[in-house]
Amino acid sequence: MDSSRLHLNFDNSRPAANDRAFPTTPSTFPQPVFPGPQSGSMQSQQQQQPYGAGYPQQGYFAQNQYGQQQYPGQAVTSDYPSGGYPPQAGTNDPNTGLAHQFSHQNLGGGAARGGQYAARGPSSGRPRTAGGSGQQASYGNYAPPMPSQGVVSSPEFQPIPERNPDKYGTNANSNQKKCSQLAADFFKDSVKRARERNQRQNELEQKLQDPGQSATRREQLWSTAGRKEGQYLRFLRTKDKPENYNTVKIIGKGAFGEVKLVQKKGDGKVYAMKSLIKTEMFKKDQLAHVRSERDILAESDSPWVVKLYTTFQDAYFLYMLMEFLPGGDLMTMLIKYEIFSEDITRFYIAEIVLAIEAVHKLGFIHRDIKPDNILLDRGGHVKLTDFGLSTGFHRLHDNNYYQQLLQGRSNRPRDRTSVAIDQINLTVSNRSQINDWRRSRRLMAYSTVGTPDYIAPEIFTGHGYTFDCDWWSLGTIMFECLVGWPPFCAEDSHDTYRKIVNWRQTLYFPDDITLGAEAENLIRSMVCNTENRLGRGGAHEIKSHAFFRGVDFDSLRRIRAPFEPRLTSNIDTTYFPTDEIDQTDNATLLKAQAIQNRNGQAPEESPEMSLPFIGYTFKRFDNNFR
Amino acid sequence: MSNLFSGIKAQIRGTSAKAGTPVKSPTTPTAESPASSLAPASVSASASASSLHRPAVADRHPSTSSPVPRVSLPESRSHGQSIDVVPTVLDIPRPLPLWLNTACAKHIVKGNFMTLSARPKTVDPGEWVAHQVVEHYRNLWNFVRVLHEKEEDGSSICNPSTCPKMSAGKNHSYTWLNRNHEPVELPAYEYMTLMQRWMSGKIDDPALFPTDPDTVGFALHPEYTSNALQQQQGGEDWLGARSGFPKQLGSTCQLIFRQIFRVYAHLYWDHFVEPFYHLNLEKQLNSCFSHFILTATTLDMLQPAELEPMQYLIDLWAADGTFPPESRPYAYANVERGRYIQSLGTSA
Repeated sequence: MDSSRLHLNFDNSRPAANDRAFPTTPSTFPQPVFPGPQSGSMQSQQQQQPYGAGYPQQGYFAQNQYGQQQYPGQAVTSDYPSGGYPPQAGTNDPNTGLAHQFSHQNLGGGAARGGQYAARGPSSGRPRTAGGSGQQASYGNYAPPMPSQGVVSSPEFQPIPERNPDKYGTNANSNQKKCSQLAADFFKDSVKRARERNQRQNELEQKLQDPGQSATRREQLWSTAGRKEGQYLRFLRTKDKPENYNTVKIIGKGAFGEVKLVQKKGDGKVYAMKSLIKTEMFKKDQLAHVRSERDILAESDSPWVVKLYTTFQDAYFLYMLMEFLPGGDLMTMLIKYEIFSEDITRFYIAEIVLAIEAVHKLGFIHRDIKPDNILLDRGGHVKLTDFGLSTGFHRLHDNNYYQQLLQGRSNRPRDRTSVAIDQINLTVSNRSQINDWRRSRRLMAYSTVGTPDYIAPEIFTGHGYTFDCDWWSLGTIMFECLVGWPPFCAEDSHDTYRKIVNWRQTLYFPDDITLGAEAENLIRSMVCNTENRLGRGGAHEIKSHAFFRGVDFDSLRRIRAPFEPRLTSNIDTTYFPTDEIDQTDNATLLKAQAIQNRNGQAPEESPEMSLPFIGYTFKRFDNNFR
Repeated sequence: MSNLFSGIKAQIRGTSAKAGTPVKSPTTPTAESPASSLAPASVSASASASSLHRPAVADRHPSTSSPVPRVSLPESRSHGQSIDVVPTVLDIPRPLPLWLNTACAKHIVKGNFMTLSARPKTVDPGEWVAHQVVEHYRNLWNFVRVLHEKEEDGSSICNPSTCPKMSAGKNHSYTWLNRNHEPVELPAYEYMTLMQRWMSGKIDDPALFPTDPDTVGFALHPEYTSNALQQQQGGEDWLGARSGFPKQLGSTCQLIFRQIFRVYAHLYWDHFVEPFYHLNLEKQLNSCFSHFILTATTLDMLQPAELEPMQYLIDLWAADGTFPPESRPYAYANVERGRYIQSLGTSA
């Protein structure tokens, strides 16, 4: 039971396309940096491009050289066909050792074959099958060592056909992806669970062996541990459902669903439940988004990232049960306070630096850092999420989408006189005009389109991007904290896009707002072209900027935050603009509607067969049982 | 179709033992001892009771009328082993199915997965079995979905013309029991639909698989659990008794494991190439199935004789190290035969 015996060396030669989040589809929430599996062949190629072009293909977090230039990486290394898992193929394969020991002498080929086995020995990893079929020819009378000759079938067996996934329909192919992914997830999660379980068992045994323990105490330790493990297993196999929770309030709403503050029936525990409408997700191709969000939230133990407790689904919705952060978000704070002092700005920006760094270390690029996604916990400290639902559920990777926006016409009449924020020289005196923008801010946040204000230009110019795009976003947020609006805000998103792309001309610090030289310098060092951007070599570059002089990053999360939420209960939603959010429970409405459309019949469907896209529930022990 | 829900019956074609052991219906799990009667293989392979640790090489010759040509080849020899060994006979027609070709018997995961199957020491045995049943059921349906879910035009990969019967090779097909407890042959598609409903009906039934966290128990420990508790449990004890599971948990889980096995067997015999190989899923299938076999045998949910339709693959996996020597399926395998099969294959 040595936990170190558990290996999860994903076979190098498996079809890589489906290993991780569907890398072809966009997500606004942190994306795994696993290289786009080019061998996938089943994925639509169209959207894949930006990934290949933009990702540093490996090693961002695997290596510690945060400080080095880790992002030259426009080059695509297809060396890692099985996204993200380093190629340890072969070395731990129990098969290889064994296989060599056998020789055979049937069909007269025994001698040759024996030799071949031996010769194959040293190099026999699992075959790399970037090309598709998983076989290396090494049968027959070829002399060893054998170069791969493609597929050679043994006469004893059915011939190995040329793989042809195209012969099947779209459903089969999309099920293929799910299947492949879920199978990989199953083993990955199972191994992780087993490993953690072993660890707990070891801890328990240590306690049991302590001679100071009384027999009663030992019995108690044993039974408590057993119950906890059992409860976790029961929790894993039990389907959760929304009916198990009471809605307290709707705290966020968007085109894809809503976020509610809920309380679990029974134990009264409080959560934030995000429900996403499946049909919308399908339409907008957001599966990858959910997928990667699940990945990062589930895998991180970071205090900087919102915890995900579990995910589940019914016929209409996908639910994500998350940690409820009562402090609200930075957007709400900014709407309330308009600007922050430099000290307060320093605190939040420093915390966001750490949060972004944590996300990067997990191997994800957030790509959509913005005030709506920066939440404040009970103590007023920062956590990242994609809570807002708005959150650019749009296709961040879809070049066409952005090209259209960039070329398209502004959808508002040019001659409108009402708001002149298109002119960049906003001053304090005409600041009231910004209030129009601010008022529309939240509406924007909840729309499908989301706000592009904080997105780095390289993301939608389509020339590839990498980790440092998050530092651009940080720069724009810092600007907003100090100035009162984001640097490229405009009357509509088209103009914002244009401004961002032309940031050299449009980045402008208002005359009447005095920023410290260091603050302005830091903003300018992040809101700039990627080649010169601070943070490109790692978060430490930003941390050591003069603006942060004196900040002790290591203890930041432990000091008192400038704003600590004052709460009256664990379901206090003071810091959420609940009065601005329509409290109609669309989920319930939609469901009722759907049932009505089916002539009063609830959808009769076998839950497993209809597994729409997640098909599986992630649950972790730590979050739920510790 | 609902009148067909009542049961499942195994039937072996091409054997004289067709009318053999009555087969238990999943809905009547207490009818007989679950271990003995449910495997299709048990119908004719009673001889293999003696072969628990090494199933007889050819313990089940098809009847004389069988059109199946048998090929006998001399057994392979390992280094340092005696030459006097029984010849290895593969009792299935050539060409051999692709999944017996080592090149296609590979996995997406490597390493020793016994830890994933073995019950953690503190966990109540019933809870563990329930957990495993659900996990393997979920895994299985990932694969079934691929060939079962219909396309827009209403077609599915597994359909009555590709699979008029729920078969697993030439020698096995499975039937449902209809309302009158008569075996009915169904297209595999229908069979799997019914099976899915039957299984999810069980797994989602809180009376059978309780969901209340408060009734969860723990495993007794000879040293750490007080005698009173142990004795108190002594009288009424069954799998899961201490965690609020009903008496039939064990037999129900055996039935579910058996059904899962049947579906896997069908997937291998009739769908390995179409669609799994073509869709690049054969390694995933292998990994999930081998893990299933490991779990089912470790937890005594499948008996050696029941493995028959897939015995050769188990042999192969014992030989190639998928099943470590200390594992149950290894003990149930004919490793020599596995090596022989290995030697036939396209090495990769």
